[in-house]
Order: sequence, then C-alpha cells, then structure tokens
Amino acid sequence: MPGRVSSGGLRRRLTIAFVLAVGLSAAALATGSYFVVSHNLLADSVDTAERQARQNLAIVPTYIQEDPTALLEAYQRGGGDFQTAGVHRGRPFSSTFQVNLRQVPADVRALVKEGELAYARRTVADTDYLVVGGSAGRGTELYYFFSEEDIRHELEQLRNILLAGVGILMLVAAFVGALLARSTLLPVARASEAARLLAEGLLETRLPVEGRDEFGVWAQSFNEMAAALEAKISALHAAQARERRFTADVAHELRTPLTALVGEASLLADHLESMPPETRRPAELLIADVGRLRRLVEDLMEISRFDAARESVQLEKVDLEALARATVRARGWDGQVRLEAEDVVISSDPRRLEGIVGNLVGNALDHGGGEVSVRVGRDGSAAFVEVADDGPGIAPEHLPHLFERFYKADASRSGAGTGLGLAIAQENARLLGGRIEVWSEVGRGTRFTLRL
Amino acid sequence: VDAHVLLVEDDASIREIATLGLEQAGFRVTATGDGRDALARFRQGAFDLVLLDVMLPSLDGFEVCKEIRRESQAPIVMLTARSELHDVVVGLELGADDYVTKPFELPELVARIKAVLRRSAAGLPEVTIAIGDLEIDPGSFTVKRGGEDVSLTATEFRLLLELARRPKQVFTRELLLELVWNYDYLGDSRLVDVAVQRLRAKIEEDPKQPKLIHTVRGVGYRLTSG
Repeated sequence: MPGRVSSGGLRRRLTIAFVLAVGLSAAALATGSYFVVSHNLLADSVDTAERQARQNLAIVPTYIQEDPTALLEAYQRGGGDFQTAGVHRGRPFSSTFQVNLRQVPADVRALVKEGELAYARRTVADTDYLVVGGSAGRGTELYYFFSEEDIRHELEQLRNILLAGVGILMLVAAFVGALLARSTLLPVARASEAARLLAEGLLETRLPVEGRDEFGVWAQSFNEMAAALEAKISALHAAQARERRFTADVAHELRTPLTALVGEASLLADHLESMPPETRRPAELLIADVGRLRRLVEDLMEISRFDAARESVQLEKVDLEALARATVRARGWDGQVRLEAEDVVISSDPRRLEGIVGNLVGNALDHGGGEVSVRVGRDGSAAFVEVADDGPGIAPEHLPHLFERFYKADASRSGAGTGLGLAIAQENARLLGGRIEVWSEVGRGTRFTLRL
Repeated sequence: VDAHVLLVEDDASIREIATLGLEQAGFRVTATGDGRDALARFRQGAFDLVLLDVMLPSLDGFEVCKEIRRESQAPIVMLTARSELHDVVVGLELGADDYVTKPFELPELVARIKAVLRRSAAGLPEVTIAIGDLEIDPGSFTVKRGGEDVSLTATEFRLLLELARRPKQVFTRELLLELVWNYDYLGDSRLVDVAVQRLRAKIEEDPKQPKLIHTVRGVGYRLTSG
C-alpha cells in the first residue's frame, strides 16, 4: 500500500516522554535528598567533633608538661576516636604517623593562633578527616583529626541506592509508559483497524464506545458514519438487486413467447418460396427480427446470470489454436479470417472461450471490415488471443465505454448487435481469471486482446 | 423416420408450433401440457422419445422424468432455459438423455431428437464385448454384470459401448460428446460427467471408488478392467 505509515511511532514517543518525565523528577528528588542528608550528616559530624575538641582542650593544662606524651596517653585512655597533632613549645608532635601538623590547612592554623576554635576537612592518605583545632595558650596548638570515613561510606551507599532507585524507576516507567501508551492509543488502533475493515467492505464494522472521553465521542461519531454508510450502500445494493432481478425476470418471461416465435419463424422460413411476393418480404423481415429479438433476450439472460453470480466454470484442457479454428469454422467465417497460432494449451472453460473469441471475431468482421486476423500465443506466463482488423478504428472517446452494457460506438449501425456482446465477453473473461484489452486508432484499425 | 414422440409442454403456442415442426420433419407427435396426463399417455402408448418441459402444471418435468425412468428406458430430451443450468444437471441426473435450451429453432430441435434416436439404432457391432465381469451385447442391447442384467438407457449403453470398444484409451469429453451425443463441437461437458456418474452407479461395485470407468483429470475418462 503506498504511503502506509508505520504504526507504533506515536506509542514509542509517548513512552519515551513518560520515561523522561519520571526519570527527571526521580533524579531531581534523589539529588535533593542526597544533598539534604549529606549536609545534615556533615553538620552533625562538625557538632560532635567540636564538642569533643572542647573537652579535649579542657584537659590540656592538666596533662601537658615538657612534652605532650602524657596528654596523648590521656586521650588514648579516654577512648576518643580521633588522632591528634599539635605544636608544643615550638615542637610539632602527633599521636600517629598518619597525621601531622603539616596536614593542617594554613587558614585553620591562622585562626587557631588567634585563639579561635577552627575546623576544616582534609583528605589524608585516602581518608577523609575533619580537622578541628584549638589553642591551649602559650603557643600550644592542638589539632584533632576525626575520621569521616563512615559518613563517606554512608553517603556513597545512599548515592548508590538513589542511583539504582532512579534506574529501576525509569525501567518501571518505561514498562508502565508503554502499557499506558498502548491502552491510551488502543482506541486509535481499533479505529484504524475498523476503517480498514470498512474499506474492505465489511460494512457492519463498529467501534466499541467506552467511557465518555474524547475517544468515546469519536467512536460514537465513527459508528454513526459507518451506520450511515452501511444504510446507503445496502439501499444501493437493494436497488441494484431489484433492477437486476427485474432484468432477469423480463428476460425469463420473454423466453416462453420467444420460443414460440422462434419456432413459428423457422416454420415460416421453410415456406418462404411458396409465398406470394407481397407477403414474402414481410415474412423475411419478420424472421430476421425474431432472430434479433432472440439474440437480445439470450444476451439479457446471460448478463443477468452474471449479475446473479450463478455462472460456474467448467475447467478442461483447451488447445487455444484448435478452439480458435473451430470457433471460426462453426460460424462459417473460414475464408475471412487469418489465423496465426503458437501451440498454447491451457486449463480453462472452452465454451466460455468460444463465446469470447466468437464475439471478438464477429465484431471485427461486422465493424472492422478489411482483413481480420486472429493471433494465439503466449506473453510470459499468460496466454493471449488477439483479434485485429485494419478497419476504420474506434474514436478515442468511445474506448473507455466499449465494455459497458448497451454502449454502441457506432449509432448508425446500432441494428447489428445487441450492445451486450462485449459486456458479456468481458464478464466471461473475468470469470476465467483474465481480461480483454482494446487498442484502436482511427484509420489504422482495432485490436482486442484476451489475456488469460 | 416415423418415430412416435411424446411432447410435454405447457405453453400452447410452443406446443402447437413444435408439434407442427416435428410432424413436418416426419415424426408422429402426441402433445400434452400436463404432467399427470403425460404420464398417463406414456403408459398407454409406445413412444420412441419424450420431449419434456420442466415447468408443468400438476406434476413438474423432473417428477415425470423420474417416473418414466422407473418404468422405461425410452430416451428423454428436456426442454430447459439456459439460465437454469441447475435444471439441466438435475434433469440429467434423473435420467434425461439430452437437453435443448429455450428458445430453440425447430431444425435444432429436430437434429437433437434424431441424434438421440440414432443412439438406440445406429449401426453397432454385433460382437459381444466382455470386460471384467461385464458382458456387453450390442445386438440385443443388453449388459450383464456377473451374469445379471443391468438396465441402461440408450445413452448410457452407447457411452459404455464407446468406452468398451477401445479399453484403456482415454476419451476426452469432446470426443465422447461427438461419439455418444453427436455434438459437432462444443456441447455441454456436463452431459458426459452426469452420464458417467449414472453409468458408474449402475455398473460399479462402489461408484465412489470406480474400478471400471476411471477419471483422467483434466482430460476425460477411460475404461479398464483392472
């Protein structure tokens, strides 16, 4: 189908939008809570460290002597979870090798030297410390290194959990979004399916009307449209069926008196010679007109059989050349038609083929004049029978209507045929899975091609 | 000819003109427009052929055909409309030998009747043909299957005989139409199919799995004893 849009694009876009919205809000929420938690944790840590540092500083005068060893031991006994570095009487010292005075930031020292309690965060050997320093007077400075590793771990954990949470949320959002998009777009999918079915002729197709939303209203309008369409078309069908039944009935009712007429005419024909001249001519005309009437009624009956789809196809192996030859001979056109044939055997209905070929050749002889030639052959996988004449040709404006019922291109010669021959031939061709094509050029001739 | 034809046709004009035409062609004609009357007349007289319309008052053509077939093998030609091909098949299945479609020309009708009559009379070989447990005697117009008489219409007999004359040869429907029904070129191949079905029903043990008359798909039929 040309220009067929790929379905699902809208669904995908809806799902993506949903996932993005959920992902962004989740990420914002996660970031926010991360910062709040980390800020609180760090602030708590500072409070605790500050309290401990004041306690530590309070005992400095008691323990400090020439060197700070006693003080450090006292700290250790106190079980404080910190390490100490400092400067006493101009000499730096520290409780472990891990920390020393050089690791204390300069601005902290500057503040401590002024007698303030100061703190800063430092990472030493991959360990996060909160360094709180204070002065114990007389040039003695003390810096306590509180490890913040556990806070870092906690924050790391929190970050991981939040990241995973956001990820999982986005996955769930994708799934839910797809489901939502599907259910939201389901009425659209249903409507497009319904429209397709309508187009294919299933006129009783309707949409379920669910809910009172826009889709519900839409479905209702769609259904109203479908109902109107169905009513129109079935009315049209009924009218057409009535018309066809009427044609069939007329043909049928004409048949009985026509049979009598045909019989009477053929008896009359046997006695034309013995008639006086003044009755003979009218009798001749009567016989000819009965023949015409008979052809017309037979054609009408045949076309009404097509309309009622009561025609069946009897498939047999058919040699097209033999069939064309027999058709021409049976109608007494032997000397007038040139036959040119390849060996083509197909499976088809010989009686219908005979009717088609007979009609085409008859037309060519009646209207074409000049030489009529029949060509049988193969065109790829399709067999064809071509009937051509080099007569006056058919004007282009008539060509599209040639296969219409009772259409006569040549009004002045309307007496010759019933006007149904080509319509019947085309119906027959269609029944055999083929078609008849026409080519014509005024002054050059006409060519009808039956393709099977 | 001097054959006696029973013409059953309810339309007075057709009946009269057909009677006239057939009489001029040399037949003796008894005409009636009523189904029951037709049966009564058939039982009284010896008719060589019945010309039977389908639409009849009191008893339709199919019923008449069925009744006649029950009592006699006399050839029956149905008069039908081509628009009712269904009628054609029903008629043939009930035992009609041929059909003529309305409207028909008198010469056409006469030719068909003569062709049907020829079937029962035409120069047949006098030799009895035996195939399997079938014995076909063209002289006495009888067929025996396993020693028992099988009752065949003239058309069925002619069909069997043509197939049996050249066993194993494949006969196309067209050829059979020509040999049995005397159609020149394109007749209705349904005639052949229905007649073969009827013949199978009479001579085959199981007509659904024929052992004598075989269908050659897309071509026609052939008779083998195997």
